[in-house]
Formats: sequence, C-alpha cells, structure tokens
Amino acid sequence: MAVYKQTYKDYSGTRTTPWFRFFILSRYSYARLFKSKFLVLFLAVCMFYPLGCAVFIYLSHNIPLLTALRLRSGAMPPIDGEFFNVYCVVQGALAFLLTTLVGPSLVAPDLANGAMSLYLSRPFSRTQYVAGKMTILLLLLSVITWIPGIVLYLIQAGCAGWDWARVHAWLAGSIVLGLWIWIVVLSLIALALSAWVKWKIAAGALILGVFFAGAGFGVAINNVTRTHYGAFIDLMQVVRTIWSDLFRNGSSADLSVTEAWTVLGVTCGLCLWLLARRIRAFEVVK
Amino acid sequence: MMKLWYGQIVSVVRLEMKKTFFSKRGLWVYLLAFAPVVLYMVHSVYATRQRQHLAQLATEHPISQAAFNGIKTGLSRDQVVAKLGEPYWQRTRYHHGGNGKKRSFVFYRYTDGKNDVSYHFEDNKLTWIHRRDPDTLPKSQLIFATSFQFYFLRLAIFFGCVGIFVNLFRGEMLDKSLHFYMLTPMRREVLLAGKYFAGLLATVVIFTSSTALQWWAMLWQFERGVIVDFLAGPGWIQFGAYLSVTALACVGYGSIFLAVGLLFSNPIIPTAVVLLWESANPFLPPLLKKTSMIYYLQSLCPVTAPPDKNMPPLINLLISPTEPATTLTAVTCIVLLTLLVLVLASRLARKLEINYGTD
Repeated sequence: MAVYKQTYKDYSGTRTTPWFRFFILSRYSYARLFKSKFLVLFLAVCMFYPLGCAVFIYLSHNIPLLTALRLRSGAMPPIDGEFFNVYCVVQGALAFLLTTLVGPSLVAPDLANGAMSLYLSRPFSRTQYVAGKMTILLLLLSVITWIPGIVLYLIQAGCAGWDWARVHAWLAGSIVLGLWIWIVVLSLIALALSAWVKWKIAAGALILGVFFAGAGFGVAINNVTRTHYGAFIDLMQVVRTIWSDLFRNGSSADLSVTEAWTVLGVTCGLCLWLLARRIRAFEVVK
Repeated sequence: MMKLWYGQIVSVVRLEMKKTFFSKRGLWVYLLAFAPVVLYMVHSVYATRQRQHLAQLATEHPISQAAFNGIKTGLSRDQVVAKLGEPYWQRTRYHHGGNGKKRSFVFYRYTDGKNDVSYHFEDNKLTWIHRRDPDTLPKSQLIFATSFQFYFLRLAIFFGCVGIFVNLFRGEMLDKSLHFYMLTPMRREVLLAGKYFAGLLATVVIFTSSTALQWWAMLWQFERGVIVDFLAGPGWIQFGAYLSVTALACVGYGSIFLAVGLLFSNPIIPTAVVLLWESANPFLPPLLKKTSMIYYLQSLCPVTAPPDKNMPPLINLLISPTEPATTLTAVTCIVLLTLLVLVLASRLARKLEINYGTD
C-alpha cells in the first residue's frame, strides 16, 4: 500500500479584506436566522407600529380627508418630540424582545461546543469575532428601530415642508442617537450574557431577568429605602430618561440625565469586560 | 403498584436534590430569592442606627414641635436659623445660570428626635420642605406587600421557577443524561412526578425561607413591644398567608414551566409570553384576569398593595378594578390548573423522544 506524505499547506485562495472579515460571521448567521419562520413573522409584526405612524402622519396632513372626517387639522396630536419619544418606547420594547429571541444563540453555542479555538486559529481576532456577532444584532435591530424612525421623519418632512425639516433637524439626530444607544446596550448585554452562561436557554432567561427583575428589584429598593437608588438598576428607566432628554420632553424619572448616561456607560463597560474574559481561544477546564 | 411508584418518586427526588439545590447553573435563583432579604436587613440596620442617631441629636439640641410648625416656605435662611438654631447637617451648592449669574442652593437638616426635616433654600429663600417620618409598622406592612407582590411573586418566584423547572428536563437534554432515566424500568408519569416534586421541594424551601427571612428582617427594626403586639394580633396570620402564597406560587408556576421545558426546545418564547401575560394582568378585563395565576395569588395576599405612584395617569386609567377571588376559589383554581397542566405534561412525557442535537 502506497503511503503518501501529508503535510499542511498555507491556504492559497483569495482572502477577505481584514476590515470586512467580521462580516463573514454575520452573513452565515443571517442565513441560519432567517430559516426561522417565527423570526420573520416577528419582524413583520415589528413593522406594524411604524406603518401605523406613517399612516397617522399622512392623515394629519391630508386636509380634504380631515374635513371629510369633520376634524380640524389642529385636532390631531402634533408630530413632535413626544410623538417620536413614544415611537422609541414602543420600538425599543420590540427591539428588546427581538434581542431575547436572537441574542442567546449568538455566542453560547460556540463556547459550549468548543468552537472558539476553531474561529481564532484563523486570521480572525477576538475583536472581529465580537464585531461580527454584534453586527448581526445591530443590523437586525436597526431594521425595526431607527431606520423606520428616520423614514417617519422624512415622511413628516415631506408633508410639512422644508421649514419644518430645518427647524426639527434635531429630531432626526435624536432618533438615530437615542435608538443606537439602546441597540448597542441590548447587543452588548445579549452577547455578554450569552458568553457568560454558555447555554442559550439560560442566556435568554437571564436577558429577560436582567431587565424585568432589575426593574422590579429597583422598585423594591425605592419602596423599602424610600430613595431613588433603585432606578440605577432599572435599565429601561435609564434609557427612557435619556430619550426624554434627547426629545426635549419633561421627565418625571428618578434619575438625572448625567446619572442615566453614567449607568449606561458602566453597563457597557461591564459587558465588554465580561466578553473580554470569555471570548478566548483557550479554556481552562478544572 | 402504588408503593412501587412511591418508592420510585422518592428515588428520583433524592437523585434530583443535588441538581436542584446545589447546581452551579441554578445559583442565581438564590440571588433572586435572597436579594430582598439583604435589602430589608440593610434597611433595618440603617433605620435602627438612624433612629438612635436622631434621638441623640435631639437630646443635644432639642427643638420644639411648635418651632418646626412655624417654618414656612419663603422665609430666609437667617430666619430659619434664628428659630431652629444651627442644622445638624448642611450642604451648599452653586450653579451658574444661563445669564452668568451665580445661584446658591443650600440644604439644611433638622430633627425633633423622630422625624428628619430637610429645608431647601434657593438664593437664601426657603423653597421646599421635606419631612421624612420614621418607619411605622403599618407603613412597613404596606411596603412589604408592595415588594412581595410586585417583585417577589411576579419576578423572583417566576424566574426562579423558570430556572429550576425548565432545567429538570431541558437541563438533562443539555447534559445528555436524560436517557439514563429513560432506560430505567419506570413509567414516564412517575419520572415526571418525581422531577416535579424535586423542583417543588427546592423552590418551596428556597422561596418560603426567603419570605420568612424578609418578614423577620422587616420587623427587626421595631421595638420588641411593637412586634409582640403585632404578632398577637394579625401578625402570625399574615405571616402564614405570605408563606402559603409563596408555596402556591411555586406549585402553580412550577407545573407550567415543567410543561414548557418538556414541550419547547427553546422555552424562552413561551416564558416571555407568560411573563407578558402575567405583567399585563392589571390592565386585562375582569374575565381575562381570571386566566392568569397572579390574579389568584394576589387575591390570597393578606395586605392589598397600593398602585405604583410613578405610573403615568393615562396608564393608570387603563387599570380595571376587579374583586379579588375568595380564598377557597383561589386555592382551588391554582390546584386545578396545576393538576391539569401536570396531566397534560405526563401525556407529553409518554411520547418524549430524546434529541440531544437541538440544544
């Protein structure tokens, strides 16, 4: 029997540009995610509210229709900061549910099945791995949050005219910034918890728990100690405080805007630290 | 046959004990359960020390109630100091206004030995008075009821049951160890009953002990005489009611999440649905309210929790008031629902097939 010498050789095919390598992970993950009919259905449901808002904006500028309905144009609620703040709250809640659905399956299976060394033995850094996994969530959440938000702003600008768009240009900035903050925080928390617990079911429960139990325990802290320190662990209240500030709405929150930004900064830092601890090419098994 | 099944259930409970109580995967359940205990203890210690501190301050610098009553907003800082003397605590802050003018904000704190009164001066004028009354037992009972119903029942026990009961079957799938049970000469229903009782034992022990400790920590800040009087009155009945509600919550939620763990390979979606349904309970019409577990559990609570003060008025309007269920109805409904879910789960367990690849 002939024995041939087998040696490993360098890969000689074309390589993806280092800057875009992280996108390989996202591409394959999207292919897997969109096999789920439930996810597609959920994404469709997430579009109902923006669609309703678009119809509302169109109706509020349609004078003949308002006249036919015997409504004055001033009788409709104005399209202002409060309108877009409510939009952020609704779409932000849906973004949270989508993160609970998608987030846990991103990192946990790779860690649980020992795939991390396979990824990182290639010309692919830890940062690229995290960026690739995070891009999945960022793009998916963008589709249901700030992108329809900007479309609504453009519809309103189209209906109300250039003057409105110029005076309310800050609204577009607030929509993008406010919702980007939320989707970055959600993505980091989802990735960190998914990496930490290694079991996607537990990671999903933990993401739900961090937000719901955090809010509940925060209320308990406020009740028992008669302070507002509980608001620091209620991430939903934290982000609502920031949104109220960005959309120039009065807020009755227990937190100041500076405190809210600090809490978000600490949360993101903690998540990055957890990811840095967990995403490694080796694992010590005791 | 019953004796054999009983023996098998006991064996399964014994085997599951270590997994439910001491598994690393379930340690967070202890955090959820005992965090309120720590909170109450810290508060009790603080309240006791604060009470002693205020009493000491009042003996060193007594201020009459009439002097406090004479302080109204609009007085100057000097007038307040002339009436009450120097405060025991003060802080001054300066802010630059938009017109470049420097504004001063001064906070003074006084005490009569029991109450802590804060005065807030803006540019030397008294603008705001806040009186912090000492904790009383009725007030603490309301606080306990609120945190018990809004945090402990709805979130801590809920997520605790998710963690423990879903893990009973789904965790075995993950560990690739469920087939060991399946290979034993034991009926699937018996296995399910054994696992359910093991989970129930763990949750009841963890959460009822947490309730008991919270109760003790809540009472700890009060004087012995007050506690004895309270316990001689409605105290023990309330204590028993809270423990029973905790145990019933474990019974009800436990059965639901055991079935969820059996039925769904990803239990997060049904868990989120149940969580949203239970959270939306106050806003549901009366008939739909009765289809959620939390309605019956809240009906059994001895003290009605006040609504959330921070809730926006528009959302407050959506809350539909409903008469609570009677004790008998509430207990019967929870037990019947549990039995129904367990019967359905046992039918599912009979057809259970192992697929270790999906998790």
